[in-house]
Amino acid sequence: MSPTHPACRDIRDDLVALGAGEATPAAAQMVEAHVGRCGGCRDELQRYRALEGLVTEFRRTPVPGTDATFARAELESRLAGLRARLVTYGVFASPLGPILIARSLEGVSMVEYLESPAATGSRLARLGGVDAVKDDAQIESLYRDLLDYLTGRRTRLDWPLDLRWASSEFQRRVLQVTAELPYGAVTSYGRIAHEIGVPAATRAVAQALRRNPVPIVIPCHRVIGASGGLTGYAGDKVGLKQRLLAIEGVPVAGDAALHVERAAMYVRHLADTEYCVPTCGSLATTPLARLTLFGSRERAEAAGLAPCTSCRPDLHPISS
Amino acid sequence: MGDDAFEAIVAAHHGEIHRYLARVTARASDADDLSQETFLRAFRAYRALPGDANVRAWLFAIATNLYRNYVRGEVRRRRALATASADGMMMADPGGPDGAARVNEASARIQQIVVALPLKQRLAFTMRKVHELEYEAIAESLQCSAESARAHVFQALRKLRRGLEEPAGARMESPR
Repeated sequence: MSPTHPACRDIRDDLVALGAGEATPAAAQMVEAHVGRCGGCRDELQRYRALEGLVTEFRRTPVPGTDATFARAELESRLAGLRARLVTYGVFASPLGPILIARSLEGVSMVEYLESPAATGSRLARLGGVDAVKDDAQIESLYRDLLDYLTGRRTRLDWPLDLRWASSEFQRRVLQVTAELPYGAVTSYGRIAHEIGVPAATRAVAQALRRNPVPIVIPCHRVIGASGGLTGYAGDKVGLKQRLLAIEGVPVAGDAALHVERAAMYVRHLADTEYCVPTCGSLATTPLARLTLFGSRERAEAAGLAPCTSCRPDLHPISS
Repeated sequence: MGDDAFEAIVAAHHGEIHRYLARVTARASDADDLSQETFLRAFRAYRALPGDANVRAWLFAIATNLYRNYVRGEVRRRRALATASADGMMMADPGGPDGAARVNEASARIQQIVVALPLKQRLAFTMRKVHELEYEAIAESLQCSAESARAHVFQALRKLRRGLEEPAGARMESPR
């Protein structure tokens, strides 16, 4: 091969390619034809073929002094740490405004009403020890469930939950009891306090629910004041509480002081297996801390209750 | 949460990415660190990968990118050391403490030449000739065209061809 000869220069790259086993058939043919009459290039091709053999051997030779075992073990341990801290979240439009849904590997860990679609001011963004990764696609199916719920096509959100952001065992118990409240029912903070065996802790229950990390999923909107007032919800969002209750068929009255109309609700006393009209026996004057109220007979029966055999709500329903 | 999916990715590719980095860095500690970083980055990003993505090529691209950034930092730090420090090169001592790793002499020589290649040629050569990646994937890793990737590989082959004919120990170009 002569570096200056145009014929040799023309096939220079193709010759390397042929030696490396990468030439196209056309290029291979051209090089073969050339080396048939050029001894220099024939030798050159031979050298590249020999090199290819050495490179193949090189490929099979392990890199000495390296063992990935240790690196792999360390990686696994760091991944375990990342997995524990990892929270994926999405932000979506909803009838109640922008909503953030976040989940860990264990389950849904946060549902948050946002002021704007940007998650920068969110509670999630302020949490420490969290690796929050936005991934709307990953959260999409949860969002669809939530939309179904908010439009009345679904009455439960059976999501696995991760209550890692419950601040105390007390709050965890409050949330667990609240999670059991049936769709279309309301009760009072006092009732929840009674359920967890600390009847005097009404205010602490209200505080615990105010910081519910997963509103809607754990239906703290079904918990109201002793007099039937909606009191508060997610800070100053009592209007959302009213809308959530309306979706479930719970009548809410009043403009300034929103409250549930006890007289329009069916009633369950403590853990009775029956439900009554609100005037049955002394129920009209029984404190709300002993009662669960249902917006309709269907809701009471869906919760597994039978009509009371004395007031017979099935025969004498509340007249609207 | 697709977490098993990532475990499968680690299981399938960690060994190869580690080998790749060990080849191009010629330093076991760098391969350990950079392979770890590659997979930690991948862990954060893999959920956004399209279902039909070429995960292997994607991991090579992350590893390559990390290594190139690392080299840039190293160059700044080690400007005083104009040549590769021989102490850091594994291939300079292919025997290993137990003498078990007996490296074929030609392979040792090739590794020596490869680590002395300019960065893009070294990366392109290793991806193509050791890991047999497609040129499209190499191009993506090097952020160049497939033609350039191919040219880098051929340049590397030419240098190997010439380098193997020189007596061993002849002065190499700086790898960095």
